[in-house]
Amino acid sequence: MKTSNLVVVALFAAVIVVLGFLPPITLGISPVPITAQSMGVMLAGCIIGARRGAAAYLLILVMVVAGLPVLSGGRGGISVLMGPTGGYVVGWIIGAYVTGLIAQSTVREGQPELRQYIGFFLASIIGGIAVVYAIGIPWLSVAAGMPFSKAVIVNLPFIPGDLIKAVIATLAARAVLAGYPMLPSRA
Amino acid sequence: MLTSLYVEGDTFLHRQRPGAKLALILVVGLALYFTGRMAVQAVAMVIAGAIYFSLPMTVREAVYRLKPVLLAIAVLGLINIWLLSPQEAAVSTLRLLAVVFLAAAVTATTRIGDFMETITWILQPFERLGIIRAADVGLALGLVLRFLPDIFAHYEGLKEAHAARGIAFRPLRAIGPLMILALKDADAIADAIDARGIRGDVSPSNGERR
Repeated sequence: MKTSNLVVVALFAAVIVVLGFLPPITLGISPVPITAQSMGVMLAGCIIGARRGAAAYLLILVMVVAGLPVLSGGRGGISVLMGPTGGYVVGWIIGAYVTGLIAQSTVREGQPELRQYIGFFLASIIGGIAVVYAIGIPWLSVAAGMPFSKAVIVNLPFIPGDLIKAVIATLAARAVLAGYPMLPSRA
Repeated sequence: MLTSLYVEGDTFLHRQRPGAKLALILVVGLALYFTGRMAVQAVAMVIAGAIYFSLPMTVREAVYRLKPVLLAIAVLGLINIWLLSPQEAAVSTLRLLAVVFLAAAVTATTRIGDFMETITWILQPFERLGIIRAADVGLALGLVLRFLPDIFAHYEGLKEAHAARGIAFRPLRAIGPLMILALKDADAIADAIDARGIRGDVSPSNGERR
């Protein structure tokens, strides 16, 4: 990995940690408060692309294992991974990668703005929501001894908030693409 | 700013090798998963809990660190009582508690540096395959810790800039500008790292080994 990419990965991981310190925001539509950190997967893929985005989340995972409380609410340590919600943390890595792959293949500079928004939104929904749940829900089901279908139902209340996050991530990613494009220089 | 979950002390767990402790979590976790007997899970939970709560920190601190995980386990336990049976709910709840207490005990008794050594060791095969340079992981971790205060400062700066212009500050709207502020220094920092030869035999132009 080029040194500049290594630095981008570290910078992005630091931003993800900082987002975890911001107070959660409650919006009317969703019952679950929105934490800025959980948008990180979408942001990572859409802003720095598949490889660097996944690497930033691998770095977060290393920090969690090493006992640094880098996750929102001051969570950290191996207990987070061994607990019922550990699958989401692992899902973030692959989710960021998939988000990046889709963003890289659908969004280009110089495209009409609307197409860029659509590309980022699709990438965020597939990578940042579908992939993360595809790993998090089976893990939850196994770890908590809960039937798979019930584990799906337990996750449903979070979906409206996730869709709002995808919208916010799309807007932020498009702002960065316009102001300081990183995605085209994918690692 | 970011305090490690390590707790200073000299208990039996403190003296064990980090790799052995990580292996212990995996073995115990898997073994408990393949046992449906409540007595085994209960004994494991009591032993893991005793180890965790006997570490040199207050009970309050010990509970506080695990609050989010314990809350999730409690909610899932209640849902399982309602969905399955109290018996099955007890088995899965005890198992989760046992593994979480044990994992938290390992986290509290292992220094970041020791973890990093073990992680670097685990990554060796990947280094041989040319996928990753194990030493980069430690460097990247150091960079993150170094960048955190800067990025907080960027965030505070954005807040002040909004206040100075009399605009209401919305944290979510600040994400885009925060990203740009954070990432625009990347090239200069990378040049500084390469100029000092910190990554050793890596050529600055392509990052491959010479």
